[in-house]
Amino acid sequence: MWKPVLISLPILLLVACNSSASSEGTEFPTERMELIAPASPGGGWDMTARSVHRAMTSDDIITQDFNVENMPGGGGEVGWQYLQRQDAHSTSVNSSLLLTNNLLGQSDLSYEDFTPIVMLLTEWIAWATATNADVQDADELITQLQDDPESLIFGLSPALGSGYHLSMSQIAMLSGVEPRDLQVLVYDSGGEAMNALLGGHIDILVNSMSVLSSQYEAGEIDIHAVTSPERLEMFPDVPTWQELGVDIEFPHWRGVMGPPDMSEEEIAQYDEWFGEMAESEQWQRDLESNMFFDFYMDSAETKDFLEEQNELFNDIIESVGLMP
Amino acid sequence: MYIIRLSLPVLFIVASLIYAIMIFQLQPAMLGEPNAPRYFPLIICTGILIFSIVDLINMRKENIRQNEDLEMLSRKSTLKVVGIVLGFCLVYTLIFEHLGFLISTILFLGALLFYLNGLKHWILNLSVTIITAFTTWYTFSFLLEISLP
Amino acid sequence: MDFSIIIDGLYTALQPINLMWLVIGAILGTIVGILPGLGPATGIAVLIPLTFGMEPISALILMAAIYYGALFGGSRSSILINTPGDGSSIAATFDGYPMTKKGQAGQAMSIAAIASLIGGVMAIFGFIFLAIPLAQFALNFGPAEYVMLFIFALSAVVALSMGNIAKGFLTMFIGLGISTIGVDLQSGVHRFTLDVPHLTDGIDFIVIIIGIYALGEVLYNMFNINKAKKPDQNIGSKWFTKEQWKKSLAPILRSGPIGFFLGILPGSGGTISSLLAYSTQKQIAKNKEEYGKGAVEGLVAPESANSSAAVGSMIPMLTMAIPGSGATAVMLGALIMIGIQPGPLLFENSPDLVWTLINSMFIGNIILVIINIAMVGMLVKVLHTPPKVLYPLVLVLSFLGAYTLGYSTVDFYILILAGVLGLLLRVLNYPVVPLILALIVGNDMEQNFMRATVIYDGPVSILFASPITIGLALLTILSLSYPLIIKLLGRRKKKDHPMTM
Repeated sequence: MWKPVLISLPILLLVACNSSASSEGTEFPTERMELIAPASPGGGWDMTARSVHRAMTSDDIITQDFNVENMPGGGGEVGWQYLQRQDAHSTSVNSSLLLTNNLLGQSDLSYEDFTPIVMLLTEWIAWATATNADVQDADELITQLQDDPESLIFGLSPALGSGYHLSMSQIAMLSGVEPRDLQVLVYDSGGEAMNALLGGHIDILVNSMSVLSSQYEAGEIDIHAVTSPERLEMFPDVPTWQELGVDIEFPHWRGVMGPPDMSEEEIAQYDEWFGEMAESEQWQRDLESNMFFDFYMDSAETKDFLEEQNELFNDIIESVGLMP
Repeated sequence: MYIIRLSLPVLFIVASLIYAIMIFQLQPAMLGEPNAPRYFPLIICTGILIFSIVDLINMRKENIRQNEDLEMLSRKSTLKVVGIVLGFCLVYTLIFEHLGFLISTILFLGALLFYLNGLKHWILNLSVTIITAFTTWYTFSFLLEISLP
Repeated sequence: MDFSIIIDGLYTALQPINLMWLVIGAILGTIVGILPGLGPATGIAVLIPLTFGMEPISALILMAAIYYGALFGGSRSSILINTPGDGSSIAATFDGYPMTKKGQAGQAMSIAAIASLIGGVMAIFGFIFLAIPLAQFALNFGPAEYVMLFIFALSAVVALSMGNIAKGFLTMFIGLGISTIGVDLQSGVHRFTLDVPHLTDGIDFIVIIIGIYALGEVLYNMFNINKAKKPDQNIGSKWFTKEQWKKSLAPILRSGPIGFFLGILPGSGGTISSLLAYSTQKQIAKNKEEYGKGAVEGLVAPESANSSAAVGSMIPMLTMAIPGSGATAVMLGALIMIGIQPGPLLFENSPDLVWTLINSMFIGNIILVIINIAMVGMLVKVLHTPPKVLYPLVLVLSFLGAYTLGYSTVDFYILILAGVLGLLLRVLNYPVVPLILALIVGNDMEQNFMRATVIYDGPVSILFASPITIGLALLTILSLSYPLIIKLLGRRKKKDHPMTM
């Protein structure tokens, strides 16, 4: 019984040596790769990471061993601190929290501490009210807020300073309402906030289209205006804020970044992978079923975009008065 | 014995005082009522303080001599065993991320087994240690895809 | 109701491939339920890549089976070695572990499995007839209602520590205090985190549960580990007796609906429902002094309730796309990825899917009972392991469980501290459960209270916000005064029953 094992052992060793030898040199991935989702399973980051993983592996874009790792804690802080100590085999999903955590003084990590790799997708943010609340349109809401900013209760998730919060503050500012006067209830997740909206405990829910869509289709809620530059194909009846005269474009994006100090070759390799993935059918299907919108940018574009966003957020946070 | 009986209420009173200091050092809220993050902790802090004191007063009625467990725990030999086991746990915590799951678990489990089960059963101890360490490592890293250090 | 669709669902559920996934899910669920720290959320997350290649319905069956399977498994370690793996199996230690000490481990495990089955089946019927109206009713639970619900749950649990009320309140406040660690959602202020990023999300209550129970139990058993070689324990029969069954039936039937309804409310349904089922059962029981010493009624009531709550908690996930727990959140994500869109339209658009799921839950519950009773023989062998070997192993599993929850050794320190605290609480007769429940609901209670202060004018208007809050307030008063009334009436009997929980 032991014989075959003993015989095969040297062969296996040879094979193992061989394969590691061949992958040395210029080829970049030499060991298991990981994509960090800095949150527990089930949330937006986790879904993004798992969709990337599925698209990358099911179309054999990445042939190296490749895993998704959940590292929850501190609004991304735990996973990103870990990423900072890794080499180019590790990458992590990110979002606007990377910028806002730092701007709000909740984290020392800044976007400049990492290597931008790709911008993947975005969600567009909208205001929703319960159908039975009988609100005609966003103008009506804004007028009411202008009269009395405390008359409507907003619900959002998962934190103050999140994209949802910043976008609604910017909208308020642009319409002449003092954002600090607004009544805001913060919920752990979009689902809980939706529960509160349907139960009539809050008046306006600020969240992404993916959270709002199923109740919208069922006719339980009205969606009033969205932060996208143009009307969304899937929701032709929902106007944009720009149409309503509020000059705002606010993506709620997610991308992937790597540890600091990655080499040109490594970045180029990732560009190639993600470029191919963004075109793949699997990825496009996943975007659609999650109601995510394609927002692909390669590493160079991502770098510029992050700088731009950081400035924008800085301005909003300052004028809302959230600056530490 | 009395020291151990007193430990908890005293610990809780000290904890509530430290808690109170920390409450006053909290940052005020940036939006809305600045003291809002302090209200709930303050209620809790008062609750702990009041009920610890009530507990201290009630203690006089208690006949702690009847508490067999307490008597057991107060023996030097018990304290020694409990202390050593806790010491092993602490060492395990310190070495876990540096030596990795496999090595630190072998050391931890081995040390515990040799200490508790004695040197006489060394074959059993060794085999249990190694089998457990490897099977859990395999199960978690490969079957459950949870990466251990 | 159209019956052909039910039959079709049954037929789909019985297809060999679906049956296979059902069995795999049931076994896997039982295993993750038994191991401390691992729960259904992890079990489901691990299998997500596997579900991509599957038919959507098979994936749904598999994930649901893991979920309710974990609740069957959860009580095993509570009963055998007094170490619950998560909140919902704490109540199984109260009377389950004493039954083991009395040599009835086999009976305890088999009747607990039956209780889970009946609770689960009751909830499935509830699912069929009441899913949508109940999900609608649950929406009425806003901030004020939740605050009152949590206050009621806490008071019911504090009331359990009869004769020891001051200590009960004390540990409750300690638990609430621990729950305030982390970011305060409403203000974004970081509280008591000592600048440790791992603590910004607060302390995971499961780490504390593992510490207090598993570590505390191990340390407690160190007291006489060198002396008493445990005499070969009598494991007892695998089957429960007729008399036990007779005692159990009423508590099982009573607790199922409690669990089902609390399960529908998003939040910590499993834990609250099993603890409330236990306290209700104890408060109406005639033989109160037997509770905590191995009363079979005290074991089956929470088991029935938490199994029922698991089925209940799938209702808001499927009908409103609102997950009420970590496990259902993972399921929701996975379902969307495989192309099922839960929500109000799911029942209209794909009734076949829903009915297949319902039928598979029926079959799954029966399979789980068979698996769990078959495993009784194997599991009781744990008790034959010499304690000197068993307890070191429990320690390693506890640490491992804590690690998988947060991937950080910060949790190890918390685990050790909780272990020492657990030992002291136990030796000095402080009730532990108020602490744990307070820890679990504390943060939600505060957040909802702060939200309620935005919506309502003051504490009084929160109390009178709706008929639900008034009802819950009355129940709170009742549960706190009930022990006093009993005590006054029962003065003649001997006074104190030291409670151990």
